Amino acid sequence: MAYDKPLPNPDENTQPFFDGLREHKLLLQYFPSADHYQYPYSDRCYKDWSTDWEWRESTGNGEVYTWVRMHQLYHPSWKEEIPYTLAVVQLDEGPRMNTNLVNVDVDEIRVGMRVKVLFDDVTDEHTLPKFEPV
Amino acid sequence: MSDPIRGQTAICGLGITEMGKVYGHDASWFAGESIRLAIEDAGLEKDDIDGLLVNPGITGMMGTGISIPLQGYLGLRNLRLLNHMNSFGATASAMVQYAALAVHHGMANYVACIFADAPLQQGGSAGAAYGGAGRRGPTGMASLMPAFGFYGANTSYALAARRYMERYGITNNDLGRVSVAQRRYAVDNPHATMRQPLTLEDYHNSRWIVEPFHLLDCCLVSNGAVCTIVTTAERARDLKSSPAYVWGMGQGHPGNFPHAEIEVGTTSGATVSGETAYRMAGVGPEDVDVCEFYDCYTYTVLRTIEDYGLAKPGEAIGLYPDDPADPEAELPTINTGGGQLSSYYMWGMTPISEGVIQARGSGGDRQVEKHDIVLCSGNGGTLDTHGTLILSPNAN
Repeated sequence: MAYDKPLPNPDENTQPFFDGLREHKLLLQYFPSADHYQYPYSDRCYKDWSTDWEWRESTGNGEVYTWVRMHQLYHPSWKEEIPYTLAVVQLDEGPRMNTNLVNVDVDEIRVGMRVKVLFDDVTDEHTLPKFEPV
Repeated sequence: MSDPIRGQTAICGLGITEMGKVYGHDASWFAGESIRLAIEDAGLEKDDIDGLLVNPGITGMMGTGISIPLQGYLGLRNLRLLNHMNSFGATASAMVQYAALAVHHGMANYVACIFADAPLQQGGSAGAAYGGAGRRGPTGMASLMPAFGFYGANTSYALAARRYMERYGITNNDLGRVSVAQRRYAVDNPHATMRQPLTLEDYHNSRWIVEPFHLLDCCLVSNGAVCTIVTTAERARDLKSSPAYVWGMGQGHPGNFPHAEIEVGTTSGATVSGETAYRMAGVGPEDVDVCEFYDCYTYTVLRTIEDYGLAKPGEAIGLYPDDPADPEAELPTINTGGGQLSSYYMWGMTPISEGVIQARGSGGDRQVEKHDIVLCSGNGGTLDTHGTLILSPNAN
């Protein structure tokens, strides 16, 4: 069956990030002057307001900052998955990412659990950065 | 030591419209009803109003909320102060604060602060009203949110709640105790939408929304409006209804930065906001008689209690009886009108309206006996913004 869930919609600024996902790389903005990784995208470092930055590949390692089980249906394409697990992952580089946790028994999920990125090629054009236990 | 402004200003008029599933009117209509009720309560005339601050709720995000044109709709011709304000759930406290500062310094005499909303449509669900607000197809990294299945404010607060619960060993039954306690108050509140008594069993049987939140952990969505009129203490003394004097004011806005250096879930802006307001009022947590806390979710109440120093971190639940449905069990004097969970959802005006009622001593069967210091909170975003008002029936 064709993938029918909402798909990412890159814009000019974030296209390199989404291209990176296709190549199974998790790219973060790195601002050298504040030695600061930032996510999601911004054209300015919120620490020292520098606009000088580069893409750097994340290790993809982190821990579960918090998590929930979604039971409410907001979009019909999630009907079969409900309830599904949503999480915030604290990357070792500092930024936190909203994501899905996969390949894990719900009873095992804990705040602080070590996880790593898993690239899910949901369509030929789109890859989602999900996370699974280490 | 308190600040010299303590007790120098007051809320002199309160207007609460019919609340909840009231159909066939837009937000402006509710705003008009609320200001009509508020000037009647204060014993003022329309032309006395020379300040207007407005805050739209969900309809503001939908593009149909109240804004500056409300002045024309209401025909207010004497305005010396006018603004549309928005720091989400913290706005109502901020409106009263800026109004108090303005009247204290002679910029206006009677400032009407209005929250009005009408997102509920006949035949539509509350979730649709909120979850659909302002929804456009996001682009860039924001488009990952629906791609992962993140939707609505329920999700962001459930994420914050989970972190708090795991950190301190708080259970769903604990959250249920907050929900049941507030419902017991709502039973005695004629303004409240949900007045059927609730048990812990009912709580556990209510459907999951975003686990750890059941339906009964989440606030209502309401059509309605609340207007408070702010003036100087000197003017308030001679008006028709007893004033709720403003003793303390504060704000604290930690913002939202998804980064390791900022903690989310186990802190909020209430700490900074509360310290500022306590200092102005010359009181501390030990002096507080009644709390009216922004309760978008049961969790938010526990978080707020702790940030105001009324309990140690992780220990707010200790203020609640094991079974708050037991009529013999003494309830904490927190959210004495049922709050947003059970009475009505007017963003930051829910706690302020009940705070005025309690300070005046007009709470009927739900009135708290000792009500000299009433602490009201507003909270917006996902614990991003916060405002505090300390109200008292006493000028000094």
